[in-house]
Amino acid sequence: MTTLVIDQVTRTFPARQGHAPTRALEPVDLSIGNNDFVTILGPSGCGKSTLLRIVAGLDHPTSGKVLLDGHEVKGPGADRGMVFQSYTLFPWLTVRENIAFGLRERGVPEGKRNAVADRFIQQIGLKGFENHWPKQLSGGMQQRCAIARALANDPKILLLDEPFGALDNQTRVLMQEMLLGIWERDQKTVLFVTHDIEEAIFLGSRVLVMSARPGRIKADIKIDLPHPRSYKIKTSPEFVALKERLVEEIRAEALKVAAEA
Amino acid sequence: MLFVAAWSLATFGGYVSKTFLADPLTMLREGWDLLVKFGFLYDIGMTVWRVVGGFVLAAAIAVPLGLLMGAYKPIEAFLEPFVSFARYLPASAFIPLLILWAGIGELQKLLIIFIGSVFQIILMITVTVGNTRRDLVEAAYTLGASDRGIIGRVLLPSAAPDIAEILRLVLGWAWTYVIVAELIGSSSGIGHMITDSQALLNTGQIIFGIIVIGLIGLISDFLFKAFNAWLFPWKLA
Ligand SMILES: Nc1ncnc2c1ncn2[C@@H]1O[C@H](COP(=O)(O)OP(=O)(O)OP(=O)(O)O)[C@@H](O)[C@H]1O
Ligand SMILES: [Mg+2]
Repeated sequence: MTTLVIDQVTRTFPARQGHAPTRALEPVDLSIGNNDFVTILGPSGCGKSTLLRIVAGLDHPTSGKVLLDGHEVKGPGADRGMVFQSYTLFPWLTVRENIAFGLRERGVPEGKRNAVADRFIQQIGLKGFENHWPKQLSGGMQQRCAIARALANDPKILLLDEPFGALDNQTRVLMQEMLLGIWERDQKTVLFVTHDIEEAIFLGSRVLVMSARPGRIKADIKIDLPHPRSYKIKTSPEFVALKERLVEEIRAEALKVAAEA
Repeated sequence: MLFVAAWSLATFGGYVSKTFLADPLTMLREGWDLLVKFGFLYDIGMTVWRVVGGFVLAAAIAVPLGLLMGAYKPIEAFLEPFVSFARYLPASAFIPLLILWAGIGELQKLLIIFIGSVFQIILMITVTVGNTRRDLVEAAYTLGASDRGIIGRVLLPSAAPDIAEILRLVLGWAWTYVIVAELIGSSSGIGHMITDSQALLNTGQIIFGIIVIGLIGLISDFLFKAFNAWLFPWKLA
């Protein structure tokens, strides 16, 4: 079992000429384990991406530290898979080669890595597209492929930064169900950033609400909806009650941002 | 076409003296003579070999260096001023110096092509590699790629189509250097033939030589393009 501990992490971006330094994160304390699916909600610019990038090792905290199973995170590594909001498949690799990228980097022989890649291609419903270039895929297919690419590495924790943000509503819902299906089957610790409240509740076993910038964790809400979940759950009274509560939390933060501007 | 028409009108119409400008038919006849009697094919072969030789040498050194400079800022900061300076040195100005150092043999010709190409390629590749999409590099890092993996499996393939375009461009320039190199101090090659013909006031041969250069340039450009399209199907898909 994996535990991720975020210990008093702050991040301040240094001043550019004519601007004050940006305090993106106030001290953030957080502990995640139990194969939790943690969703992070917060208004735009509150430091969600910054927090995720620090966990991934792509950015460094100004103070504090991140521990993964007791080891301090110093830089990026295969034990933390990441899916970005922008499309980041390697355009020169086919779907199968993209998914096998991490395995190849670790020296897994070709036969084995193709077997793993094909298993994931099956799971994300891209059978028949193994040899397509990313350019030939729709946005939803590309993000599915990016999720498979991160999972094929078998990371201890999966980090997703608004992976469905650029997709239309229908596709988005299908992708949520697919991701939840994978998680229900494989059990993995997931940290998922979004600013869609329904998405956060539907996917999460725990929803964190971040305050307006400088970001800190303002609320930590356990979601006790039963698994497996289907889209129908979105109209259940429990779901609606949670949604109302979160709308209030977010609204308060959004108002602060608006007042500042 | 228009060009040939104007040329025919000027020469056949007798507006321009034959000494200064041969008419197209004379040019073709002279060209034929060159090919069959004076071994012009050998000259063409020599010139092509010099361009390709010097160019391949330059590319073999410049591509890895440009890649490293694009990948590592400290290396770029260290080498960039020198390369930028060297880039502005006209290759033809080196000819006298190179003749002193390397004589008028093949080495001197190859070196001129080399000097003319190598700095251009380095700088352009450095810029291209430096502009690699940041999010792709980060994605590769989160997939466990090492620095070497980043260079070999992200920076290089991502920049490869542009690198091929750069090489195609610079190969075109290399063609102009080789002719200049052969105009001065050479005993073979298309440029040498052109100087010889000048001494004999044979404008037909000169024009034929120029057209041959243009044609070879066009063919190599076409081959390069076809090769690139074959090499990078993901770009076109
Ligand atoms: N590299 C950087 N340099 C300077 N400031 C930065 C940098 N990256 C982020 N910031 C600032 O830090 C703050 C938090 O940014 P971040 O991207 O983490 O927000 P976010 O919560 O992900 O927003 P969104 O929902 O719009 O993606 C913003 O004010 C942003 O301008
Ligand atoms: Mg963000």
